[in-house]
Amino acid sequence: MEPSPTIEFSNTGKVLFPSLGITKGRVIEYYIRMAPRMLPHLEDRAVMLHRFPEGVDHEGFYEKDAPAGTPSWVTTAVHHSETADRDIHYIVCDRPETLAWLANLASLELHVTLSRVGNPRVPLFAFFDLDPQPPAQFPEAAEVALQLRDLLVEAGVRSYLKTSGKKGLHVLIPLEEKYTFRQVRDAVHSAGILLSRRSDRVVHEASSRAKRPGSVLVDYAQNAAWKTMICPYSLRAREEATVSMPISWQALESGARPEDFNIGTVSSKMDDPWRGILSDRQEIWTESE
Amino acid sequence: MNEEEKEPAPPHRPIWSGSISIGLVNIPVKANPLVRDHSISFRLLHVRDGQPIRYERVCEHDHETVPWADVGRGYEVRPGEFLLFDKKELDAVRPESDRRIRIDKFVYSLGLDPVYFNSNYLLLPDKNPEAYALLLAAFRSEGKAGIGRITLRTKEYPAIIREYRDALILTTLHYRDEVMDPRVLEELNSLKEPSKKELELAVRIINELSGDLDLSEYHDRYREQVEDLIRKKMEGETIRVEEPKAEEAKELMAALRETLAQMKAGQS
Repeated sequence: MEPSPTIEFSNTGKVLFPSLGITKGRVIEYYIRMAPRMLPHLEDRAVMLHRFPEGVDHEGFYEKDAPAGTPSWVTTAVHHSETADRDIHYIVCDRPETLAWLANLASLELHVTLSRVGNPRVPLFAFFDLDPQPPAQFPEAAEVALQLRDLLVEAGVRSYLKTSGKKGLHVLIPLEEKYTFRQVRDAVHSAGILLSRRSDRVVHEASSRAKRPGSVLVDYAQNAAWKTMICPYSLRAREEATVSMPISWQALESGARPEDFNIGTVSSKMDDPWRGILSDRQEIWTESE
Repeated sequence: MNEEEKEPAPPHRPIWSGSISIGLVNIPVKANPLVRDHSISFRLLHVRDGQPIRYERVCEHDHETVPWADVGRGYEVRPGEFLLFDKKELDAVRPESDRRIRIDKFVYSLGLDPVYFNSNYLLLPDKNPEAYALLLAAFRSEGKAGIGRITLRTKEYPAIIREYRDALILTTLHYRDEVMDPRVLEELNSLKEPSKKELELAVRIINELSGDLDLSEYHDRYREQVEDLIRKKMEGETIRVEEPKAEEAKELMAALRETLAQMKAGQS
């Protein structure tokens, strides 16, 4: 194997989370430390960066294309975007060095696609994005997540949970690689409709009319090629430096909260409630069957 | 005491000798520094010929070297305007070193804020070890520290004497008015109250990182690197001067290499 590349870490003293005084150096250190946990979720997916070079209290920017100056050792994948009518050179974060390099770019948030970069039209997961509508907060999202879990248990499906790192929760079902995004989107949507019949709290359409205050949206729309979700263990650009944290259903039931998981409290030595998720591929019901 | 906890004996070079006096009792002692500075010192050399360089006192007016005998002390009244004192005049008002540490009272030393601690000296028995042993035993049994004053060289200090690992040690203290009161600083007075949420998060991080104090976890990394350089140079290795780079960047590269090694080990 070729020797490990040297990364020119720059400006490591720059404070990116001002209320906690967390510097870019600490962010880089976090991503290096978490590399063993994160890489399985990154190594064959396209990544979209949400960069905050001036810190979280300034506006960041999204970046899909590998930026100018991307080192030659960084893996990229070309995708021709029809909507934009141009080639996008996605970064594929397939080694710890790339993760460290991305952190040096102040890419606080890493968003990953739900399919492999080599097989972008075949989803690896069904993805439920539970998004509380103010004044609903995390507890309301947790209540709906537990209802969703019960529904999925009834359907005989094993599901995996993570905090979004903000107020929401994400539920994933790893899939056999044989469905289309269309099928998966319909399945997630129909689960949302079922849930909304059971609970007044739940809405299943993202239209502004349907998203009434105090409800929890079960969003299916991200189940599409080249759409992304926040990567497990990615930091969030919030002043509390929270993490999108895989947690067990029991942890949610016993009152885990998104603020419990942040740059200071999360380590790669913690129990992994998502152990085996990538090989736990399941069949899913579809409307067309 | 545990054998491993013992540090090598400090050099026997008393910097002061005299006596501790409590009421009418005098206990003769000598004081050695308790703390050794392990920093590596370098001589200044002339790089062209490798010869040592020395400082000279040069008169700014005629550029002649001034012998110590002709050196006086000037107190700057206005820029460039001095009051001249000679050594005798200043010596006359110097605090008299009466070679005695008078203990005024006994206090619980833990009640004293560590910001006032200045330097530590080890007090050893001088001539009368029985008196020293008695004082040591009394200090140990009461767990208190004696507070008084000592004159070292040209300055008088408040000082405490207390028992430390079967010996008496003396710690000179700063005067109250030498330690700044941070409350006078405007930038601290205008700090805004953090929100409850921010505080809870910060407190949680503190609790996560809480542990037992173990100073042996800390060592002088700069000194170790200099020692390493010295060793390499003695062995004839050429030292490659690396681009000046933040220490943190190097540590991050080291952390990255460690993660790579761990992941490699995990795969095999």
